Amino acid sequence: MKLFISADMEGTAGVCSWAQVDPANVSEYPVYRRYMIRELAAAIEGARAAEACDVTIRDSHWNQTNVLWDELPADVRAITGAPSPWSMNDGIDASFGGAFFTGYHGAIGAENATLAHTYSPDSIYSVSVNGVRCSEAILNAAMLGYHGVPLLLVTGDRTIVEETTRMMPWVTGAIVEESIGYYAVNSLAPAAARALIRDRAQTAIAGAKDARPFTFEPPFELVIETAHTGNADFIELLPGFERLSGRTLRYACDDYALAFRAFLTSMRLGGAANAPA
Amino acid sequence: MKLYISGDMEGVAGVSSRQQVDARTPHPEYAIYRRYYTQEIAAAVEGARGAGATEVLVNDSHGPMRNLVFEELPEDVRVIFGNRKPYSMVQDVDATFVGAFFVGYHGAIGDENAVLCHTYTPSVIYEVRINGIVCSEATINAGLLGHFGVPLLMVSGDRTTVEGVQAQMPWVRGVIVKESIGSFATNSVSPQTARLFIREGAAAAFERASQAKPYRFEAPITLDVHLAKTEQADYIAVAPGFQRTGSRGIRFVAQDFPTVFKAFVAAFRLGAMA
Repeated sequence: MKLFISADMEGTAGVCSWAQVDPANVSEYPVYRRYMIRELAAAIEGARAAEACDVTIRDSHWNQTNVLWDELPADVRAITGAPSPWSMNDGIDASFGGAFFTGYHGAIGAENATLAHTYSPDSIYSVSVNGVRCSEAILNAAMLGYHGVPLLLVTGDRTIVEETTRMMPWVTGAIVEESIGYYAVNSLAPAAARALIRDRAQTAIAGAKDARPFTFEPPFELVIETAHTGNADFIELLPGFERLSGRTLRYACDDYALAFRAFLTSMRLGGAANAPA
Repeated sequence: MKLYISGDMEGVAGVSSRQQVDARTPHPEYAIYRRYYTQEIAAAVEGARGAGATEVLVNDSHGPMRNLVFEELPEDVRVIFGNRKPYSMVQDVDATFVGAFFVGYHGAIGDENAVLCHTYTPSVIYEVRINGIVCSEATINAGLLGHFGVPLLMVSGDRTTVEGVQAQMPWVRGVIVKESIGSFATNSVSPQTARLFIREGAAAAFERASQAKPYRFEAPITLDVHLAKTEQADYIAVAPGFQRTGSRGIRFVAQDFPTVFKAFVAAFRLGAMA
């Protein structure tokens, strides 16, 4: 089958601080970048133990150029670089049999969720679709669902894994760390995390036929709370957005892809308001 | 008889370099020219008052939009400060105004012999067209005035700007304070003379307000923006409602001008993030 993998970093075993995941950091980031990519490689290995998989990776962290090719099988493709039209979801189409999310983290505002954020903590305080508070996993799973592709596996801390599997019971989880608040974790060793991910990935692919695409029901109502009113001032300029309060905006449409684009644009435009006036 | 004034700085007499108008990087030149700018606005207010204007609203429309020096302004004007306004250079215009003045305006980006020419954000905007017409800031801003039925009465600035506006709106009184020699040089009257010209022009323009017409774009209104860089178009094309018309081209269509105006502001702010 064709397998899509969106690879993030905050949910990699041992990660508990921005220093470990910030590409500008020259001591911690290079170490954890390798752990991130090795977890990704373990997921591919596990998937292939269950079935031959044609793998496309979407590098989904920060500037989206974290892949280390020497840690990956030679026959995978990787989508790297930012910004792009669909961000963490570039490359998804109906030809994929399923998807993995590796190294994922909690939604902004989630309790006990290390480095929790939803795309951009600088502009997004919370985002919901049809009344459901969304993590990146939910927003992205719905983009998969838009193309008819089911999420099969999520790896990360307990908070994101349990939230995702509660919402999508067919998803296999691999919990590599327990978050203690925002900046601390109780984690497996990287080697143990890789073994767990390999095993859970195999299970996920073996059970793929029971998985379902995740979708919200149209019409879609996107509600965004911004970090401060200045972000909302900018987002309100966009066609189709309605200001509900100082820091709340609403966008309604019948096409989830459009709702996702509206979200991505509001996150970017909202971020523009953080520069000095 | 309410008058609206949008004040910009590049078209003030004597201005020929960025340092003179750069409010963000402190430079002694800016301190001098912000005073000349304020004095030109004051001259426009004085002229209009002599011709019957009662209430005057001045929108500081340059850079961070907090350049006016209060001690140089009459006490009985209201001022709009700050650069994060949904309608930017034409914030708070409504149908109660008899007309508007654009003081210190400059040419559209790409104009020949137009000192410091740009259209809102030169790092993002390469060209703006609305319904196929190449727009300067004056054109875009006059379009919003026109939506509320408010005519542009007077424009001051260099010859290129003034003649460009008059080619689109022949009823507008022009006050030419300088001739541009390329993008970074001018042959200018003195600030004192510029104030005299502006005072006279303002009085004449306000007296003839009834003969001026609101400038309106026919619906559907099509905004075409050419971006400086492809990555800016990448960002803007993701925004709902925008179409990509080329590697560096985006389009937005709406039935009403305020929606188009806000989309334009969103587009250049978003483009600046790329």
